[in-house]
Amino acid sequence: MAEPIYTVASDSETTGEDRSAPIFPEIAVGIDIGTSQCSIAFWNGSQVELLKNTRNQKIMRSYVTFKDDTPSGGVINELSHEYDMLSGAAIFNMKRLIGRVDTDPVVHASKSLPFLVQTLDIGVRPFVAALVNNVWRSTTPEEVLAIFLVELKMMAEHQLKRPIRNVVLTIPVSFSRFQLTRVERACAMAGLQVRLMPEPTAVALLYAQQQQQQAVHENMGSGSEKIALIFNMGAGYCDVAVSATGGGVSQIKALAGSPIGGEDLLQNTMKYLLPNVESIFSHRGIDEIRRMGLLRVATQDAIHKLSFQSSVQIDVNLGNGSKLCKVLSREEFEMVNSEVFEKCKNLVNQCLHDARVGIDDLSDVVVVGGCSNIPKIRSLLMQKSKKKALYEGMNPLEAAVSGAALEGAVASGIADPFGSLDLLSIQATPLAIGIRADGNSFIPIIPKNTTMPARKELVFTTVKDNQSEALIVVYEGEETRAEENHLLGYFKIIGIPPAPKGLPEITICMDIDSSNMLRVLAGARLPGAHHPATPFMEVKMPTVDDGHGWCAEALHGKYGAAMDLVSLQKKS
Amino acid sequence: MSKAKLRSSLLAVLRCNTAHSTAINFPNVSNSALSSQLPSNCISLSQLPSTAECFRLWRSSRCECLNNLRFPSRVFSSRSAEASDLKLRCWNCGAAAPTSVVFLVCDSCRSIQPLDQSVDYFQIFGLEKKYEIGDVNLESQYKDWQKKLHPDLVHSKSDREREYAAEQSARVIDAYRTLSKPLSRAIYILKLEGLDVNEEDTISEPELLNEIMEIREAVEDASGSQELNQIQSQMQEKLNHWSNTFAKALRNRNFDDAISSIQRMTYYERVKEEITKKL
Repeated sequence: MAEPIYTVASDSETTGEDRSAPIFPEIAVGIDIGTSQCSIAFWNGSQVELLKNTRNQKIMRSYVTFKDDTPSGGVINELSHEYDMLSGAAIFNMKRLIGRVDTDPVVHASKSLPFLVQTLDIGVRPFVAALVNNVWRSTTPEEVLAIFLVELKMMAEHQLKRPIRNVVLTIPVSFSRFQLTRVERACAMAGLQVRLMPEPTAVALLYAQQQQQQAVHENMGSGSEKIALIFNMGAGYCDVAVSATGGGVSQIKALAGSPIGGEDLLQNTMKYLLPNVESIFSHRGIDEIRRMGLLRVATQDAIHKLSFQSSVQIDVNLGNGSKLCKVLSREEFEMVNSEVFEKCKNLVNQCLHDARVGIDDLSDVVVVGGCSNIPKIRSLLMQKSKKKALYEGMNPLEAAVSGAALEGAVASGIADPFGSLDLLSIQATPLAIGIRADGNSFIPIIPKNTTMPARKELVFTTVKDNQSEALIVVYEGEETRAEENHLLGYFKIIGIPPAPKGLPEITICMDIDSSNMLRVLAGARLPGAHHPATPFMEVKMPTVDDGHGWCAEALHGKYGAAMDLVSLQKKS
Repeated sequence: MSKAKLRSSLLAVLRCNTAHSTAINFPNVSNSALSSQLPSNCISLSQLPSTAECFRLWRSSRCECLNNLRFPSRVFSSRSAEASDLKLRCWNCGAAAPTSVVFLVCDSCRSIQPLDQSVDYFQIFGLEKKYEIGDVNLESQYKDWQKKLHPDLVHSKSDREREYAAEQSARVIDAYRTLSKPLSRAIYILKLEGLDVNEEDTISEPELLNEIMEIREAVEDASGSQELNQIQSQMQEKLNHWSNTFAKALRNRNFDDAISSIQRMTYYERVKEEITKKL
């Protein structure tokens, strides 16, 4: 068939590129945009190398400063002073906010940042703005991310002397598919074709490569099977993975993640140092922002020092005659943050349980990310794994980006004569995907930790006699109540043949292909019929856009139980 | 439409038909080349590909599959014309398939071959079709296959081969998952025998019902992890016992006993799951 003359790009924001096209005609670079720091790495022909900016930094701060309405990011721009970051004109921590609506507790926790984060608590995107010449200039997490990406791209193009179009970008495990579309949107804005990779799985790939290289050196053939626990905690997110590694293949057995990180440790400590911190900073003038910033910098500094010393002296002049002078001990810091550490422990437990792996099976425990130096984190993992030492083989701040660069090289199809790229990362679904049925329950169709690509189906039936339509509401998550999960989209199937309730078989099939694209297929037929009553509907997910909190409520209110489904127990 | 495409869609029709248990009149086909192909298709008939597989095929062949459903005779006549091509040869370079190992990847040109439903999970792992698989290392074989088949590694290849990669890789995943656990392996092996075991079947033996009630109570009343661990190891013993019973029943081709062993294993596995959740 001849090519159509016109092609009209889809209105959907997510289609910045055609994801079914062959990925990576040239070698993709790896990018890690963290909540507080970002980095870029590439395969130099024999190994992974991190690029440095003009200030000779490999790890750059993730912030964007708005000056006279022209934004510039932390990759290129140099702040004259750390405190410049706290003038209200610098936006950071956007990885915590991307794709989140204003009912999300993570958004609420971001309100103490030294710029504007405002919420209406109705399920729309929060209002984020920088103070530029005393005027609030609104921005979005996507825009901020796109600015980092453009700067990193320019830097790499300049140094590598070739255009950069393809990247492997690391993402937190707990990101929903809706959040992924936001990240993809940011990449499209920066003109990049992207492959997303959960952070701990990138670390797992690096681990797989190191194990394989070691096996080659020791002449052990492809080496034995090793099970590793990967713990990656940065400023915004804590992620855990269990991977089974052998012969350069990293099979992800289980993933667990949560939006807890260094930022929470920082905020808890700030509250502890200055208990009325929230009331002091409740209205946001330039002075408040500055004082909040001063406290933030001093606390951050103190937490870093507590990794190497048992107590630290904090002296901050908060202006207006108020001063903070306090000695903070490591015990106090650990006590104030006991809940965060408890959550970390639970994530590890959950991940080991989901992977069906016993502690004795673990060959190595790999701890990486900005929080990996915190003594409590290290002791917690050693205790849990009953190990005397943690894995030493990688730089904790460079592990994720290096893994992403490896994946970029592998997926670009280049071969390495020494077998350094004879690698494969086999991914698993970080969250369950299912539909709302049986009242307000979330019924997973593709369970969490299913190896990808994956395809699963379940059969449902009607709740009313002669019900001709059914609403398929697709969610992603782990909660039993449907609305507590991430809404991905909805559509209805029509033309269910008239029959008593409970008789029609409504098959819902979910398919995740090798490029991580999710499709939902739905069709209805009467038992014994050979053909579906109506053609199967196939819908790409997610379909929702911003404001989906309202969508779900509206759906519920408008349709109530009229178009519900219940799961069908198969009878023999 | 290219010949190859037509053939794959026709094969898809066949499988869709089997999935929907439509009666296809196999004996009517007299072409000898085709009947040499029949045994393999007959196996896939009894295997009853799940609707999921059918969906996949339905998608890969687009709507042609559904449109053609009503004209099996035409399908067959055109298929027979191509049947001689269907000898196991690499679609890309034409090299003959090896006889010793299952033909998922061409040894000469590394091309991934189209999915062949007649290859069973045991063949993929080079195993005899037996319930007891001993302590073979499925995991490393699984990884070896994925290194050859995984769609991530064929990005530079044609659409066609990428589709084969997705299907083959998914099937190896299913095979690995099914064979690595005794219960799913048991259910699968019965399926190969043409018996569909329904795990949801209610148990009607009063003796077993009593036992189930008792264990359930014990799990609920258990006061600590020690007690739960004890029940856990009891369940494991029972699982081992019924696993052996199943193996014996299968050897003697006593399928009633085999099915009842599976039902018991299903139940004990569930108790184990419940305990793990509580632990």
